[in-house]
Amino acid sequence: MYLAPQDDELAIVDAAANYIAAAMPIERLHADAGPDISRDTRRAMGEMGWFALALPEELGGSGLTAVEHALFFREVGRQCGPIDLLAQALAAHTCSEDAAMRAPIVDGERGVGLLVADAGRYRVIGALDAAFALLVYPDGAKLYALADSGLETRASLDPANSIRMLSSLPEASCEIRGASIWAMGQIGVCAMLIGLAEAALDLIVEYAKVRETFGRAIGSYQAVRHTCADMAVRLEAARAQLWFAAAAHKESRIDAQHHIDAAKHLANETAMFCVDQNIQLHGGIGVTDEHNAHLLLKHTMLLTRLFGAKRALLSNLLHAQLQD
Amino acid sequence: MDLQYSHADREFRRRAREWLSANVPSDARPSNGAAAAQFDRDWQRRMYDGGWAGVAWPEKYGGLGLTGLQQVIWYEELARANAPAAHVSKTYVALMHAGPTVMACGTEEQKTFHLHRILSGQSIWCQGFSEPNAGSDLAALKTRGTLDGDHIVVNGAKMWTTDAKHADFMELLIRTDPNSQRHKGLTWLICDMTTPGIEIKPIRTMLQDEHVNMVFFDDVRIPLGNVVGELDRGWSTALATLSFERGVGFIADQLALYERVGRAIDLAGKVRLDDGRLAIEDDTIAQRLASLKADTMAIRAMTLADIAETDRTGMPGPKGSMMKLMVTTTHKAISEVVGEIMGWEFMEFGGDRSETPWIHDYLWSWVFSIAGGTNEIQREITADRVLELPKAR
Repeated sequence: MYLAPQDDELAIVDAAANYIAAAMPIERLHADAGPDISRDTRRAMGEMGWFALALPEELGGSGLTAVEHALFFREVGRQCGPIDLLAQALAAHTCSEDAAMRAPIVDGERGVGLLVADAGRYRVIGALDAAFALLVYPDGAKLYALADSGLETRASLDPANSIRMLSSLPEASCEIRGASIWAMGQIGVCAMLIGLAEAALDLIVEYAKVRETFGRAIGSYQAVRHTCADMAVRLEAARAQLWFAAAAHKESRIDAQHHIDAAKHLANETAMFCVDQNIQLHGGIGVTDEHNAHLLLKHTMLLTRLFGAKRALLSNLLHAQLQD
Repeated sequence: MDLQYSHADREFRRRAREWLSANVPSDARPSNGAAAAQFDRDWQRRMYDGGWAGVAWPEKYGGLGLTGLQQVIWYEELARANAPAAHVSKTYVALMHAGPTVMACGTEEQKTFHLHRILSGQSIWCQGFSEPNAGSDLAALKTRGTLDGDHIVVNGAKMWTTDAKHADFMELLIRTDPNSQRHKGLTWLICDMTTPGIEIKPIRTMLQDEHVNMVFFDDVRIPLGNVVGELDRGWSTALATLSFERGVGFIADQLALYERVGRAIDLAGKVRLDDGRLAIEDDTIAQRLASLKADTMAIRAMTLADIAETDRTGMPGPKGSMMKLMVTTTHKAISEVVGEIMGWEFMEFGGDRSETPWIHDYLWSWVFSIAGGTNEIQREITADRVLELPKAR
């Protein structure tokens, strides 16, 4: 029983943190780098094997588990990394029985966006040059080839990802059945939300130490201190539940799905609370375009809507039975 | 990261479950007074005789010498068996912080005398820290002790002392250096409650009980051998007490919160609202219950994370205050939603906990969020020690 990163897991955290901070620092969103993942970054990440972390070794992956998957995506979240990364990794799993389809996805040669159903139509979230889009549902996933036409670009609130509208889907190019793919998607998004919440708390704690009002650092006022403490408490709880859920999935516990649903619900609520209060406590500077605070808010809003929003998660949880 | 229980852990859980199913008292615990104290002593004695007291305490002090994780398993099984709740038991102070403080800072003689008595339910303890003008600001305390040969003569008053009337001993924190300020010059003493010169005045609370008291000291003579830690250096002993109180003190109850939500969900499946629907069919109630279930799952994950870390490093982490905040806010929120489910029935309370446990627990939620350091103080500690923000004072 141990519920924090240890041993080899810490090496993954370090490697992921260093790589993501260099390849896609959150500051990119203030420059002209544009949304989504670039073709070059995607290829570089494919070459390094980041899309195949949890893919079995016999399929050319690293053979790691939901735990390392969570550790990696938490670092992606801290930098407001695009959802493309998760779509790419999940698509590699979806093509586990089709090596010819899988190889260019794992390598980052062909991009994958994430599909969500929206009132009879579909939204594609991710790079404009993506060759595929992945639709994940609670008991499987389907990968669709994207045509050049039929995609209508919509304005995206979140600068980290573009969104396009699609009226109908072609025949699926690849399909996988089973609940694991949905669980891995939930854990990935959940981990990104924890990373976003951590980034928000770090931002406000650093600012509270240096920003002065009435001749004192704002971090010495209880109105600020107590809100920061509440952020820290909720983060501690949500992160503990994420580690529990990821380990439960790794160990194939029969109640793993309940723990994942709880983790996603807590991550949704916690991340929204932290990114919201981060803006508030920054005061005026917090609502400026040049600050990172709004980037954290907008990406959190995207992620809370993916892989289980509030109503669905709570209805699953109400009668969930845990096993020990 | 792993959630694996060892073979020994699983076997321990199996045996605990088996013993509890045959031994949890079937009669309800009396709400208060001497009958409740006797009930708590008897139940503690039964656990002691059954070989279940002090799971993580060393064997030489009467414990089982097992791991923190096995202690957690024991508390989980207690909650599952619906055994008497730890936080209302009059053995609480003795087991959760007096015993651990004596173990950490006491002399061999003090340990030998007190620890077995605590585990076997023979000794009930109370806490003499707060005073009329020293609550959240504990270091402002004024009760004074004057050296007289091999005794300390104590004069002053303590406040909010739970179960003073039933206690055999008190954790007594006093000022022994009259010229000292704040955290310096304090001493942590074991006070035998039968010593002449102690007067106890109950304080009636909003729970319609008298579980807290004022305790007056008039020339109370306490042997120097009862000093725990060093004379005039009692603050560090007091910090140990507080770290146990905030760190592991709530552990049994925090693990029981998950079961409490389960019971609230069962209740919502039986009670009908004004419009004839079952409470559970109301979206707002169902959502709040499910959300609280997730909170209690997270509290359990936090507890396991903390205990596993402590088993590994031998040191409790700095997160006890965060745990207490999470636990006390969740505890109150569960009672609030139950209040909505029960409707008018929630308004029936004659002061008897055993008859109307849900409303009693709701009123108790303020005891939880004020005693042992208010939620505001826990936020201050989190801001100082976890986030390292500039000091407010």
